[in-house]
Amino acid sequence: MAESIFNLAMIIIMIAIGLGVYRLVKGPTVVDRVIALDLLTLISIALIVMIAHLTSRYIYIDVALVYGLLSFLSVLAVARYLERGL
Amino acid sequence: MMTLLTIVLCAGILISALLATYLERRVAAVISAGLVGLFASVTYVILSAPDVAMTEAAIGSGITTVVFLFALSKTKEQPDE
Repeated sequence: MAESIFNLAMIIIMIAIGLGVYRLVKGPTVVDRVIALDLLTLISIALIVMIAHLTSRYIYIDVALVYGLLSFLSVLAVARYLERGL
Repeated sequence: MMTLLTIVLCAGILISALLATYLERRVAAVISAGLVGLFASVTYVILSAPDVAMTEAAIGSGITTVVFLFALSKTKEQPDE
Protein backbone atom coordinates (compact mmCIF):
# COMPACT_ATOMS: atom_id res chain seq x y z
CA MET A 1 0.00 0.00 0.00
CA ALA A 2 2.66 2.46 1.02
CA GLU A 3 4.86 1.52 -1.92
CA SER A 4 2.08 2.14 -4.43
CA ILE A 5 1.43 5.53 -2.85
CA PHE A 6 5.10 6.38 -3.20
CA ASN A 7 5.10 5.23 -6.82
CA LEU A 8 2.07 7.43 -7.50
CA ALA A 9 3.75 10.41 -5.82
CA MET A 10 6.89 9.82 -7.87
CA ILE A 11 4.87 9.76 -11.09
CA ILE A 12 3.12 12.99 -10.07
CA ILE A 13 6.50 14.61 -9.34
CA MET A 14 7.82 13.54 -12.74
CA ILE A 15 4.77 15.04 -14.47
CA ALA A 16 5.32 18.23 -12.48
CA ILE A 17 8.95 18.38 -13.59
CA GLY A 18 7.80 17.99 -17.19
CA LEU A 19 5.25 20.78 -16.85
CA GLY A 20 7.79 23.09 -15.22
CA VAL A 21 10.36 22.45 -17.94
CA TYR A 22 7.62 23.06 -20.54
CA ARG A 23 6.87 26.45 -19.01
CA LEU A 24 10.59 27.20 -18.93
CA VAL A 25 10.94 26.40 -22.63
CA LYS A 26 7.71 28.04 -23.77
CA GLY A 27 7.48 31.00 -21.43
CA PRO A 28 7.41 34.23 -23.45
CA THR A 29 8.69 36.58 -20.77
CA VAL A 30 11.47 36.34 -18.23
CA VAL A 31 8.98 36.39 -15.35
CA ASP A 32 7.47 33.09 -16.55
CA ARG A 33 10.92 31.54 -16.44
CA VAL A 34 11.55 32.89 -12.94
CA ILE A 35 8.30 31.33 -11.77
CA ALA A 36 9.31 28.07 -13.47
CA LEU A 37 12.67 28.16 -11.62
CA ASP A 38 10.93 28.69 -8.28
CA LEU A 39 8.45 25.89 -9.01
CA LEU A 40 11.19 23.46 -10.00
CA THR A 41 13.13 24.33 -6.84
CA LEU A 42 10.12 23.43 -4.70
CA ILE A 43 9.60 20.20 -6.66
CA SER A 44 13.27 19.32 -6.18
CA ILE A 45 13.03 19.83 -2.41
CA ALA A 46 10.04 17.49 -2.25
CA LEU A 47 11.85 14.98 -4.46
CA ILE A 48 14.98 14.99 -2.27
CA VAL A 49 12.90 14.37 0.87
CA MET A 50 11.08 11.53 -0.91
CA ILE A 51 14.38 9.95 -1.99
CA ALA A 52 15.60 10.23 1.62
CA HIS A 53 12.56 8.33 2.80
CA LEU A 54 12.71 5.71 0.06
CA THR A 55 16.38 4.89 0.58
CA SER A 56 16.14 5.23 4.41
CA ARG A 57 19.12 7.58 4.52
CA TYR A 58 17.93 10.53 6.54
CA ILE A 59 21.16 12.49 6.03
CA TYR A 60 19.67 13.51 2.67
CA ILE A 61 17.13 15.70 4.45
CA ASP A 62 20.00 18.06 5.28
CA VAL A 63 20.48 18.63 1.56
CA ALA A 64 16.83 19.59 1.22
CA LEU A 65 17.20 21.89 4.25
CA VAL A 66 20.19 23.71 2.74
CA TYR A 67 18.37 23.93 -0.57
CA GLY A 68 15.30 25.42 1.07
CA LEU A 69 17.45 27.98 2.85
CA LEU A 70 19.27 29.04 -0.31
CA SER A 71 16.51 28.74 -2.90
CA PHE A 72 15.12 32.22 -2.40
CA LEU A 73 18.46 33.80 -3.25
CA SER A 74 18.47 33.39 -7.02
CA VAL A 75 14.80 34.33 -7.41
CA LEU A 76 15.40 37.42 -5.27
CA ALA A 77 18.44 38.38 -7.36
CA VAL A 78 16.55 38.02 -10.65
CA ALA A 79 13.57 40.01 -9.32
CA ARG A 80 15.82 42.81 -8.13
CA TYR A 81 17.70 42.80 -11.44
CA LEU A 82 14.45 43.07 -13.41
CA GLU A 83 13.21 45.96 -11.32
CA ARG A 84 16.16 48.31 -11.04
CA GLY A 85 19.34 46.43 -11.78
CA LEU A 86 21.02 44.73 -8.79
CA MET B 1 11.07 3.81 -10.84
CA MET B 2 14.38 5.35 -9.81
CA THR B 3 15.78 4.70 -13.28
CA LEU B 4 12.86 6.54 -14.88
CA LEU B 5 13.37 9.42 -12.47
CA THR B 6 17.05 9.61 -13.41
CA ILE B 7 16.12 9.67 -17.10
CA VAL B 8 13.66 12.54 -16.50
CA LEU B 9 16.24 14.51 -14.52
CA CYS B 10 18.95 14.01 -17.15
CA ALA B 11 16.51 15.11 -19.86
CA GLY B 12 15.86 18.21 -17.75
CA ILE B 13 19.60 18.88 -17.57
CA LEU B 14 19.91 18.55 -21.36
CA ILE B 15 16.92 20.77 -22.10
CA SER B 16 18.09 23.44 -19.67
CA ALA B 17 21.63 23.45 -21.04
CA LEU B 18 20.39 23.71 -24.64
CA LEU B 19 18.02 26.49 -23.61
CA ALA B 20 20.85 28.38 -21.93
CA THR B 21 22.70 28.47 -25.23
CA TYR B 22 19.74 29.24 -27.52
CA LEU B 23 17.86 31.91 -25.58
CA GLU B 24 18.14 35.50 -26.73
CA ARG B 25 17.52 37.31 -23.44
CA ARG B 26 20.57 36.98 -21.23
CA VAL B 27 18.62 36.95 -17.98
CA ALA B 28 16.62 33.95 -19.21
CA ALA B 29 19.87 32.21 -20.19
CA VAL B 30 21.24 32.80 -16.67
CA ILE B 31 18.06 31.31 -15.17
CA SER B 32 18.41 28.24 -17.39
CA ALA B 33 22.05 27.85 -16.38
CA GLY B 34 20.98 27.93 -12.73
CA LEU B 35 18.43 25.23 -13.45
CA VAL B 36 21.17 22.92 -14.72
CA GLY B 37 22.75 23.07 -11.25
CA LEU B 38 19.39 22.34 -9.64
CA PHE B 39 18.79 19.15 -11.64
CA ALA B 40 22.41 18.10 -11.21
CA SER B 41 22.05 18.47 -7.44
CA VAL B 42 19.08 16.08 -7.35
CA THR B 43 21.02 13.68 -9.57
CA TYR B 44 23.90 13.74 -7.09
CA VAL B 45 21.48 12.82 -4.30
CA ILE B 46 20.28 9.85 -6.36
CA LEU B 47 23.92 8.85 -6.89
CA SER B 48 24.25 8.86 -3.04
CA ALA B 49 26.60 11.81 -2.73
CA PRO B 50 24.83 14.25 -0.39
CA ASP B 51 27.88 16.43 0.29
CA VAL B 52 28.43 17.06 -3.41
CA ALA B 53 24.74 17.81 -3.76
CA MET B 54 24.89 20.31 -0.89
CA THR B 55 27.87 22.10 -2.44
CA GLU B 56 26.18 22.14 -5.83
CA ALA B 57 23.03 23.60 -4.30
CA ALA B 58 24.98 26.35 -2.56
CA ILE B 59 27.46 27.22 -5.29
CA GLY B 60 26.06 26.07 -8.60
CA SER B 61 22.52 27.26 -8.23
CA GLY B 62 22.76 30.02 -5.62
CA ILE B 63 25.97 31.97 -5.94
CA THR B 64 26.53 31.54 -9.69
CA THR B 65 23.19 33.13 -10.61
CA VAL B 66 23.83 36.11 -8.34
CA VAL B 67 27.36 36.61 -9.70
CA PHE B 68 26.15 36.36 -13.31
CA LEU B 69 23.38 38.88 -12.68
CA PHE B 70 25.80 41.22 -10.92
CA ALA B 71 28.07 41.03 -13.95
CA LEU B 72 25.11 41.60 -16.29
CA SER B 73 24.06 44.68 -14.38
CA LYS B 74 27.55 46.11 -14.93
CA THR B 75 27.19 45.85 -18.72
CA LYS B 76 24.74 48.32 -20.16
CA GLU B 77 24.61 47.35 -23.83
CA GLN B 78 21.36 45.38 -23.63
CA PRO B 79 18.18 47.39 -23.14
CA ASP B 80 15.68 46.09 -20.62
CA GLU B 81 12.20 45.30 -21.87
